[in-house]
Amino acid sequence: MSRKLKPSDIRQGDSLPSVVKHITQKDINRYAEASGDFNPIHIDESFAAKTPLGGTIAHGMLILAYMSEMMTEAFGESWFKGGKLSVRFKAPARPNDTITASGKIDSIEDKEGVTYVNCSIESCNQKGEMVITGGAVVKLG
Amino acid sequence: MLPTSFDQLVVGYEFPSTSYHLTESVIAKYLEAVGGQQHLLTSGIVPPLAMAAYAMTALSQSFSVPKGAIHAAQELEFLKSVPIGTTISCSGKVVQKVQRGPLYLLMLEINALNQDKEKVLSGKATIAVPA
Repeated sequence: MSRKLKPSDIRQGDSLPSVVKHITQKDINRYAEASGDFNPIHIDESFAAKTPLGGTIAHGMLILAYMSEMMTEAFGESWFKGGKLSVRFKAPARPNDTITASGKIDSIEDKEGVTYVNCSIESCNQKGEMVITGGAVVKLG
Repeated sequence: MLPTSFDQLVVGYEFPSTSYHLTESVIAKYLEAVGGQQHLLTSGIVPPLAMAAYAMTALSQSFSVPKGAIHAAQELEFLKSVPIGTTISCSGKVVQKVQRGPLYLLMLEINALNQDKEKVLSGKATIAVPA
C-alpha cells in the first residue's frame, strides 16, 4: 500500500517511510537473473570467498532499488519524472543481511515556481553499518 | 563482435549504442527480484531503477568486466516516466579512469532515450576494479 506523502504534509525534518528487506543468496541470484548482471562476486560463492570481500555480496543496484522504492512510496510519480539521486556504496550487503532504507527531508526550496525537496538517504544493515549513503532531490508538480 | 577489453576503455571511449525492450514480463521479473512495488505493473509504469539497471547491464555487456569489479558510486536523474512496453536506447562513455592504490576507478556516463528520442534517464556510474 502506498504511503505517499501529500505535498501539504511535506515538511523539513520529516522522515521518509522506511523500507526493510531481508536478503538471501536466493534473492541475489534472482536479481542476477532479472537484471542480467552475473558478475561472479554476486553469485559464485567459491570465487567470492577468495576475494578480499570474503564472500558473495548483493548487487549495489538491488540495494539502490530499495531506496528508490522508498522514494516512490513517499513521492509517487514525481520521483519517476523529476527524481535525482547521488549515492556512494560504502559497504557490501551480504546474504542474510536485513537492510533498512531510510531518509529525511533536509530542505524544501521553491525556484521559479517549482518546488524541490532535498533529502538525505541511506541504507544500513542490521548492525547499523552504513551500506549506501547519499542524497536525493524530487521536483514536485 | 568481441567485447572491448578493460585496457581499451580510455577517457572519451563511447560504447556502442544498444537498445532493450521493457516488456511486462521483463518488469514483472524485475519487480519479483526486488521484492516490492507490484502495483507498478497495474499502473503500467516502469520502476526507474529497473530502467537504470538494464542500461547498466546493456553497457557492461560491451566490455569485459574484470572479475571482482564492484559498484562504488551512482548518480541518476529520472527525466520522464516510462510506460511498460517502451524500447529504450542506451548510450554511454568513459568520463574518468584513474588508479587509486590497488583499484582502478572507472566512471561511466549513461544516457537513455525512449523510442521518441526523448531523454528519460541520465546518470554516472563509478565502478571499482582491482588493478
